[in-house]
Amino acid sequence: MRANTRIAATLVLVGAVSAAAWLPEAHALRGRGAAFAVGAAAGSASSSAAEQQAAAAQQQAATAQQQAAAAQQQAAIEKEKAVAAQQQAAVEREKAIAAQQQAAQAQQAAAAGKPLPAGTVVAQLPPGCVPTPVGGKNYQYCGGNFYEPVYEGSALKYVTTTPK
Amino acid sequence: MSTWNRWIATTWFTAAVLALPVVVCTDARAQSPAVDPAAVQRLKQMFEFMDGLQQFSVQTRNVVEDLHVSGHRIDRDMSATVTVKRPNKLRAVRGGGLGEQQFFYDGKTLMLYNPREKVYATEAAPPTVEKMIDFARETVGVVLPAADLLYRNAFPLMMQDVKLAAVVGRSMIGGVKCDHLLFSRPGADFQVWVAEGKQPFPCKYVVTETGTPAPLSIATVFSDWNTRPAVNDAQFTFVPPKGTEKIRFLLVEPPRPTGR
Repeated sequence: MRANTRIAATLVLVGAVSAAAWLPEAHALRGRGAAFAVGAAAGSASSSAAEQQAAAAQQQAATAQQQAAAAQQQAAIEKEKAVAAQQQAAVEREKAIAAQQQAAQAQQAAAAGKPLPAGTVVAQLPPGCVPTPVGGKNYQYCGGNFYEPVYEGSALKYVTTTPK
Repeated sequence: MSTWNRWIATTWFTAAVLALPVVVCTDARAQSPAVDPAAVQRLKQMFEFMDGLQQFSVQTRNVVEDLHVSGHRIDRDMSATVTVKRPNKLRAVRGGGLGEQQFFYDGKTLMLYNPREKVYATEAAPPTVEKMIDFARETVGVVLPAADLLYRNAFPLMMQDVKLAAVVGRSMIGGVKCDHLLFSRPGADFQVWVAEGKQPFPCKYVVTETGTPAPLSIATVFSDWNTRPAVNDAQFTFVPPKGTEKIRFLLVEPPRPTGR
């Protein structure tokens, strides 16, 4: 059961959790503690042309250059972050759609009365299922499958199983 | 000063003057002058007010935008009455697409119950509302309505990476005058409507994905805020009625020993 179960369960779960997966992204729970470093504040570079201020200006210039470099670097990092976040979101979305398709296929197979690999999750019981207690537990039986009710997230679903 | 020194000084000064516009331009971008302190301050007020509440109850109405398998956008609606007693009790009674459902958290265990189907499940949970919310979402796959705003000390998290903050204006939400704020960060925009007056409750909260081809949102409208709900600890524990069957959660990931 394991491999198939895990694939099916994972794919379906991704669909159910798609909302969950990006809510935290929205409020950056995953980035907890990674404080956003704001670029250095622009220094006031007012200098007079007077010679005695030349040294100060020199220092100022060096600082300004450093600041410019730091700000550029920061901007580059932010850009990279944004691109990575976009890619991640796109991947999640694709996964969710794949999971939906997978779930729809499982549902169709279940409705067609085909025996399914144990661990296949369906949103609704196929028609004609009958309550079948085995070993003190309630299962639904139809199409050669035993179904057990489970919560996938907060959604009540059914998973094919082998009663013990 | 020697001529040589004077030359160096002049050169450096020229460099400094030339560098200045570059610094200002680059820095302006990195520093996001689009962050309006008034918007940030208003959000902070809201969170300070929320953080100060020991207990509260609120009605939430959620619209979760999603993509149908066909690729078209669809809305999923949910409503819930949420009651929180800090630091470690929460109860949510939901209606909507999932049918009636009750969620309980008593500081030790989270419980989910479908009265119509007469089934429930339980899972050992971390000891605070905040940790439980994370655990419920990441391990159990249960998302609580507007969890972002139920967190204590959420303000710094909300502001993280924010590149734009603006006061959009004012609007009436459920008969309450609210300030409309907009924030943007890489990957997501969020809007918060904050009630005017002495009790700056959130009126509405919308998070919009911006990193995807379809900019999907989760919107929550709040109403009936009550800072003095009649609560007792028994309300946060589920006692299964007779004939109710215990089922299991298909966990998203195995629980971690420390909770988080």
